[in-house]
Amino acid sequence: MKHALLLILPLWAAAVHAADTPPVTQFDSKFVQTRSLPGFSAPLTSRGIMRFDKAHGFHWEITEPYHYVFDMNGDAASETLPDGSVRALDPSQTPWLAAVQNIIVNALSGDRSELQRYFTLAVTPLPKGEQVELTPKQGTMAEAIVSIKVTETAPGHPQEIAIQETSGDHMDIRFTSPAP
Amino acid sequence: MTRSLSAAARWAVWLASLGLFCGIAWTRLDREHPINTDILAMLPAEQGSEALTAATDRTRDAFVHQVLVLISGDDSPATREAAQAARRVLGAAGLRSDDSGLAVNRVLAAYQAHHYALLDATQAARLAQGGADAFSKDVAVTLASPAGIMSSFDTDPGGYLTRFLSALPRPYADFLPDGPFFSALRGDKRYYLLSLQSQGTGFAQQGAVQVTNAVRDARAAAAQACPYCSLDATGAPLFADAARNEAQGETIWLSAASMLLIMVLIAYVFRSLAPHVLAALQLVASVLAACAAVVICSGSIQILTLVFGTTLLGIAIDYALLYFAEYWFGDGTPARVPRVVRPGLYMGLATGVAAFAFLLLAGFPALVQIAVFSIAGLVEAALVVVLIFPVTLTKPSMVAAHAAVRWPQRFITAACRPSRWRWLLPALALLLCIPGWLKLKTSDDVRELQQLPPELVRTDGAIRSTLEQVPPPGFFLVEGKDLDEALSREEMLFTRLHGSLPEAAPLGLSRFLPSRAEQQASFAAWSRVFAQPKALRRSLAHLGLPAELADHMQAGWKKDPHTPLDAATLFAAAPDFKRFIVPSGQGVALLSTVTGKSDIDATVLEQAAAAVPGALFEQPLARIAATFQRIRVRTTWLVVIGYLLISMLLVWRYGRREALRMLYTPLLALGVTLGVLGGLGEPVNIFVIVALILILGLGRDYTVFLREGGAERRSPALAVSLSALTMLCSFGLLVLSAVPALHAFGIATLSGILASFLSAPLSLPPRESAGA
Repeated sequence: MKHALLLILPLWAAAVHAADTPPVTQFDSKFVQTRSLPGFSAPLTSRGIMRFDKAHGFHWEITEPYHYVFDMNGDAASETLPDGSVRALDPSQTPWLAAVQNIIVNALSGDRSELQRYFTLAVTPLPKGEQVELTPKQGTMAEAIVSIKVTETAPGHPQEIAIQETSGDHMDIRFTSPAP
Repeated sequence: MTRSLSAAARWAVWLASLGLFCGIAWTRLDREHPINTDILAMLPAEQGSEALTAATDRTRDAFVHQVLVLISGDDSPATREAAQAARRVLGAAGLRSDDSGLAVNRVLAAYQAHHYALLDATQAARLAQGGADAFSKDVAVTLASPAGIMSSFDTDPGGYLTRFLSALPRPYADFLPDGPFFSALRGDKRYYLLSLQSQGTGFAQQGAVQVTNAVRDARAAAAQACPYCSLDATGAPLFADAARNEAQGETIWLSAASMLLIMVLIAYVFRSLAPHVLAALQLVASVLAACAAVVICSGSIQILTLVFGTTLLGIAIDYALLYFAEYWFGDGTPARVPRVVRPGLYMGLATGVAAFAFLLLAGFPALVQIAVFSIAGLVEAALVVVLIFPVTLTKPSMVAAHAAVRWPQRFITAACRPSRWRWLLPALALLLCIPGWLKLKTSDDVRELQQLPPELVRTDGAIRSTLEQVPPPGFFLVEGKDLDEALSREEMLFTRLHGSLPEAAPLGLSRFLPSRAEQQASFAAWSRVFAQPKALRRSLAHLGLPAELADHMQAGWKKDPHTPLDAATLFAAAPDFKRFIVPSGQGVALLSTVTGKSDIDATVLEQAAAAVPGALFEQPLARIAATFQRIRVRTTWLVVIGYLLISMLLVWRYGRREALRMLYTPLLALGVTLGVLGGLGEPVNIFVIVALILILGLGRDYTVFLREGGAERRSPALAVSLSALTMLCSFGLLVLSAVPALHAFGIATLSGILASFLSAPLSLPPRESAGA
């Protein structure tokens, strides 16, 4: 029984602790997200706001084409669904949320020490800033993601995050301007 | 046996009988398991026990092999280095950690291929009710959620598979896989956990020592890599080794002290080596015969039979001492000794056999074995005395009666004088015992029988507290006529548990393989969603999503074969999941459990199991306790009945009045022993019951020997006194033991034997001229 239990453990390998999150700088920006799905001619485009700080945690809000909000702060997480209803999430039952939030926060904050545990980092200098390419080392993260490219004008000042998934999906998050 | 038999013939008869007995036993011996250490096997056979036995064995194996090593430190990289160093050492010592990376991919592939079958009951109900609208909303959430990047939209458009995978059980609540470790950050401290399996049998000495040494070396290696880090470890092998070390140390000095005292006593009294040799011969022969008798009846011998039976055979030393006392310090020639001691010996043997014979009716394999063991041992011990002693002790004793030989006779003589103290002192003793009787309590919990090393207990508590994982008090066994019925019942059980214990985490096969009914409900919900393509397009468009998505998902649904995930597919991907299934003669039985962050009330688990057909919650420790309780209670009653029979024997031999007088000693000793135990707060457990049987047997022998040998004679008094003193040296010393079970045994024998000896003269009628 124990073996069977241990079998599923690597599924959680991507779920870096929310408690492990290093101190991050404040971040607050509008973004445009485009998601390209295999078999679809036009990408799905959405717009929203992302912000995080130590006091309020991580806030992800889609404003177009429908309204959706994801908030996570410590052990508490919730979603506001397109119909306006709010759904509380149990972080222990949704480790992907914590993992993704942590990856995004670490990538945006320029803190690469935690990322290096799960990704191989390759930094490419750009005329203005640099591009950091994260390639999952092994485990389930590598099953889902081919690479994450973070383009930043300076450490902690991201411009764009591009995520290439193994399924062929491609997600591009471009930060436009500070949120109002 | 007649005197006409020559010495050679006696030896030949004795050796031939013992050899034949052992030879028959050898042909019947279960050579693979000559000694049975399974305490649960003491229970009478029960219905449906095959699955229960298999499940108990499996959970016990998992428990006895597990070793948890927790490395902690303030500095993450340094602590990780220490953990790596410890892991290398532990791995080199043969402790293995599970590596299941390859199987995970296969399991994920199996789940992805059957993702339409994996909606849980809530999701299925929601889609079945809400249809395309509900699904569209979930699609929108999946696309919008930041976690959407972790799931393939193609195979999991609503994020349901991701949620299914996320809900799979985890072994340690807040510890997450981190390379070969589980790791967590608590405050400023980083923890790395290694979950290891020891080789061989965890409780076996070699395996336990190996684990202890490996942990010691790992601690040194970790300290070298990170001097400020700490390494703590827990697990059954560590406890077993520490307990064994302590018990061994104690046993060695207690045995040495006991042996030395007895040898000095015997040597001082008899001034000869012969008593040592003959007593050892009698002991070896009686244990051999006892073991052979048990093997002939059962094929193997229970460990408890061996321990308790050998203890009870201590009574047999009385026969030897009776003979020695008469031979060395009796009134007649060596040739007369057998005739003088035979009545007392036969009467002692008859009453001893009668007392144990009733245990044959117990119905418990262990008690029946103990009875066979004791009866055969006593008969053999008497046989040695009757056959061998007369032909080895043939020359007249040259040892003159000295002071140590005379005082028992003086004591008996004095105690037999008519005096009101003959009833006043026992009455006073019994009065003093009344508070103890009122405080007397029983205990059958095996955990109270042993002494766990306090330091290891503290470490274990600290590790469990850090992991926030308390071991479950037992396991569930869910049976059904087939796997699907068993899975459905397990799902019902887990649903009930979630209602009563929302914090607890159930672990069973149904968490990984939903029942056929649940999978069919999942397919039905999807059918409802895709039954109206236009509605789905409309719903998606309403959310601002392209209608093209609906066609894409519709095509995916049509392409899917809609076959449920079956056990064969899952087991092919992950053979370890088969461990949830235990052999069952009448269908399928599933083994499952539940863990919590704190102790879980077993009553709640029992109630949950009782509400589900085919389910039961089993607590192995409670079962052992129940076994011990049943043995304790039944033994008590059978001993009472046995003494009624002995009373009849005594009435037949000595008349009603004298027979009653002869029961004073054992009954008074019993009362005093129970009073002392109660007064000292010692519970009556199975060990104490064995001690009480021993005390009753000794008290009975003392009265018979004094009665048959004559109160005025020196040798019976000496035999009784020597028996009491040797018993006090061997069993009474156990009062100094730190092991609770042995300590209680020591208190019982110490007080009981003293009371038996001091009250033995009460079994004789008062006489003015006694000892003249």
